Amino acid sequence: MPTFKEDATVSSSEFIKAYRVMLLARVLEEKLASLYRGGMIKGGVFLGRGQEALSVSVGLHLHKGDIFAPLIRDQAGRMAFGDTILDTLRTYLGSQLGPMRGRDGNIHRGRPREGYYAMISHLGAMIPAVSGALLARRMKGETGIVGATCLGDGGTSTGAFHEGLNAAAVEKLPLVLVVANNQYAYSTPNSRQFACLDLVDKAVGYGVAGHKVDATDLEQCLLTLRKAVKAAREGGGPQLVVGDLLRLVGHGEHDDAHYVDPALKSAPVGRDCLLLAEEKIIAKKWASRAETSAWRHEAEEEVNATVDKVRREPGPKPEEDDWMAYSKSEFAEHYAGA
Amino acid sequence: MALAPILMPQLGESIAEATIVRVLFKEGDAVHADADLIEVETNKAVMGVTAPCSGTLGQILAETGQSYPVGAVLGYIEISKEDAVRLGLDEDDQPKAKSVEKKRVDKPAPPVTVEPTVKGGLPVPAHVGGASYLSPRMKARMAELGLRMADLSGIPGSGAGGRVTIEDLERFMAGIERNKTTPASPMRKAVADAMIRSWSRPIATVFRPITLDNLLAHRSKHPLKPGPALYTLRALAIALGENSACAGRLIGERIVHPPSIDIGFAVEAEDGVMVPVIRNADQYPLNDLVPRYNRLVELARQRRLPAGDTGGSIATVTNYGTFGLTLATPIPLPEQTLLIGMGVGRTVPFWNPAIEEFIPVVEAQFTLSFDHRVLDGGAAGRLLKRVAELLEGPEQL
Amino acid sequence: MSSITYLEAIRLAQEKALADDPRVFLYGQDVGNFGGAFKATKNLAKEFPGRVFDAPLSEDAIIGMAVGAAIEGMRPIVEMQFADFSTCGFNQIVNHAATLYYRTGVPCPIVVRLPSGGTSGGGPFHSQSMEALYAHYPGLVVMTPATVEDAYSMLLEAVALDDPVIFCEHKFLYYHLKSERLPESVLPVGKARLARAGRDATIVTHGAMLHESIAAATELAGDGYEIEIVDLRTVKPLDMDTVLASVARTGRLLCVSEEWPWGGVAAEVIARVTSEGFGLLDVAPQRLNAKDTPVPYHPDLWSVHRPTASAIAEVSRRLLNI
Repeated sequence: MPTFKEDATVSSSEFIKAYRVMLLARVLEEKLASLYRGGMIKGGVFLGRGQEALSVSVGLHLHKGDIFAPLIRDQAGRMAFGDTILDTLRTYLGSQLGPMRGRDGNIHRGRPREGYYAMISHLGAMIPAVSGALLARRMKGETGIVGATCLGDGGTSTGAFHEGLNAAAVEKLPLVLVVANNQYAYSTPNSRQFACLDLVDKAVGYGVAGHKVDATDLEQCLLTLRKAVKAAREGGGPQLVVGDLLRLVGHGEHDDAHYVDPALKSAPVGRDCLLLAEEKIIAKKWASRAETSAWRHEAEEEVNATVDKVRREPGPKPEEDDWMAYSKSEFAEHYAGA
Repeated sequence: MALAPILMPQLGESIAEATIVRVLFKEGDAVHADADLIEVETNKAVMGVTAPCSGTLGQILAETGQSYPVGAVLGYIEISKEDAVRLGLDEDDQPKAKSVEKKRVDKPAPPVTVEPTVKGGLPVPAHVGGASYLSPRMKARMAELGLRMADLSGIPGSGAGGRVTIEDLERFMAGIERNKTTPASPMRKAVADAMIRSWSRPIATVFRPITLDNLLAHRSKHPLKPGPALYTLRALAIALGENSACAGRLIGERIVHPPSIDIGFAVEAEDGVMVPVIRNADQYPLNDLVPRYNRLVELARQRRLPAGDTGGSIATVTNYGTFGLTLATPIPLPEQTLLIGMGVGRTVPFWNPAIEEFIPVVEAQFTLSFDHRVLDGGAAGRLLKRVAELLEGPEQL
Repeated sequence: MSSITYLEAIRLAQEKALADDPRVFLYGQDVGNFGGAFKATKNLAKEFPGRVFDAPLSEDAIIGMAVGAAIEGMRPIVEMQFADFSTCGFNQIVNHAATLYYRTGVPCPIVVRLPSGGTSGGGPFHSQSMEALYAHYPGLVVMTPATVEDAYSMLLEAVALDDPVIFCEHKFLYYHLKSERLPESVLPVGKARLARAGRDATIVTHGAMLHESIAAATELAGDGYEIEIVDLRTVKPLDMDTVLASVARTGRLLCVSEEWPWGGVAAEVIARVTSEGFGLLDVAPQRLNAKDTPVPYHPDLWSVHRPTASAIAEVSRRLLNI
């Protein structure tokens, strides 16, 4: 692991702040899993269990005015960037009042006007989108901003990853590309995904800075993202961050992940970053076990109250939807018999 | 107390149903929100169905080993009124029956297995073209002008396969304007319509001479002097009473038999023809029919026929002999299969083989026009022969 | 004033867009100092420093970056060097740009310029007409200018629109088509143009096929037939009002399109006319497309592969005789 000369420590307050966002994300996702298995969710549920430390570190180092295009396992990062329990549940439960209004679901939510981009399912596609946004900001004379987007190990195999990262490098854009190497793309292991020794080795090929981190370790994640985001913000060009971890759930909640190698589960990479972070808090005596339990309880209360609220909200009404794919309504086609 | 349904979740994007492995609680057990209640198995994995809220496990509807579709109600959790309000179950979500169906949303139809290809196809005419084809624009223009296809019979089509094009029609109509025209009377239009409809069928005609001496002798002795057409009408009625099938109508693949032997006769009135009807003509002797016949002739000439005395007949008798005609091929009414026509009676030499001499007899040509789809020349000939026998022995009438 | 080519009209429109609107920028392969493979951006990099720049050979990234810039309020115009290469950026066009407004309520004002259609010697990968492919996707406006005036005015309108526009400019017209002046008044977006009035049959067409159709109509006029020609201008939205009004006058319809027949613009127009205006038709509507093979390279093959004036005239004669 690289060592840092400056800013090489994380304060207790920063650590606890990050931990509590991770905890909230975990509690919320546990509730989503339960709602899914209770038949309450419209569509699928895709969780980020085990990826919270890396994800939260991205969100926490972005400011208002930055751009964030998260991927499917970034509940923690989303919440650190400003996404809410309410927006999350409204999207999963199909409330008409949510930002996607029933037109898109689960992890495809966002508020692009607030720099929080709504991912499309095609992996790597958000890399050029964030790059273009950064290009626009630069042309408008804005400086000191950063755009971050997340990807998994599978996403690094796409053409969009290559084209996007290369184009961003050519333009020296303040892009932070965070790759969570969670060992599996759905069921496909690393060995069938890429042949390089380490994904971070790709950085040199594109001419961008590369960062490697043990993503089960919250402190290391916070330090690495702090460094990468700072470098991007200060004109260092694109930063590729690769975090090693294990996806502790199935690809989605419909998947029991029976194919995951048991050796990985018992290896260091298979540890749960949330538990490790809690142990660290206790060990460092930054908080007591009773306090961490109270935080969890608090998170559960908030999540449950929001679930109750959203479950009473109306779903989208087909007869009230304008069924309009154009901002200019005159462009609507009228098909006979439709 | 209220009931919160336990639903079969959507356990994967293409999963339609799941099988119950086991139920983890008993009815009456206290259960907590998010606890696994029922284990279910899909082709992807075994998973727990969670409790939607805390409460007492009420009725379990799901049976172990059975499969249930996504969205099915597997059972209920009994909860307090307050919890029901909190969960949004206080309104129309309350179960009214053990219904598995969810309300409102149109569910996609379950996919069904179909044959990959259909062999042979449906029997359809291979091609229509030429003069029989009218394009939609032609039809629209004809409707505008009040024209029928028959009106176009004089137009040679210049289009592909001899089709009449819109230009042909417009040229024809422009030519019409150079002629003197008068409006057709309602009677004329009605007859034209009836004849066009009737002519859509293959109409054929058979002929037979009938000697009328016996009939004329019978008539001269008769106090009421029945008209010759009435003799024929009665004869036809008897013949059809014996076998009504040849007066049937062909509709689709079935012969529709006449419900009763109602026979019409043609009466010329002003600019057309009226056809009064004698109902059940097979059931009354000639003598009884004479006053009815005479009254109907009078009413028809005055064009005052009551609705009940016209229409619905199965055959018609027309005496074109009154115009001095010996032979004609009249067209039956569109709803009829048969029409008997009577030519003018003439005195002709008749070879009597018994005395080996020509003797003078009064003879008329009778014609039977018929829908060739329903009967053939032989059947028509036999029917006309039976009518001849009856007319030549008028005491049978 | 010397005459203006179709290509120059496109260059002038981009120049005007850059001058009038600081949100506009140009991005694409070789569009910078080189001025574009067809010189559609000639001198613009010099004229507007920092706003006209070269992209790597990455169609997906080019369009993806345009989408991101559009979300941030810019009005990017991106050039695909040939329409054929837009398939490499297809995902960003149809899944990102086209869905953005419907999903998020945030519009995506990008213009993707597709140098389209066949030229002699272009071959399978430099000749394609892709308008129907993009028109299939809800959320995209698909423009197919057929005149110098439309090339200029419609490109300016495309930049002004909040919705993503696929701008299918026809390479065959780049130098062949000239006009004395730029347009003063223009038809609104989505409105088709009656390019020629007639009463015997309607030809619905767009792009370079307009000119082949006009030539065919001129030939038929010698035989006394008056062919009405509708230039669609935008294939999506499709101006069915103008098409149906014309068919109501003539009762006969021929759709001419340079793209392949299966599921093309011609197929769509015929489907809509038969379902919305069946009673207006005198005879079965006809279509004439390119042959259902890749676009051949050799000029002798190419000139028969696409619909030509004589082929259009021949099909028209058949149509008129029914």
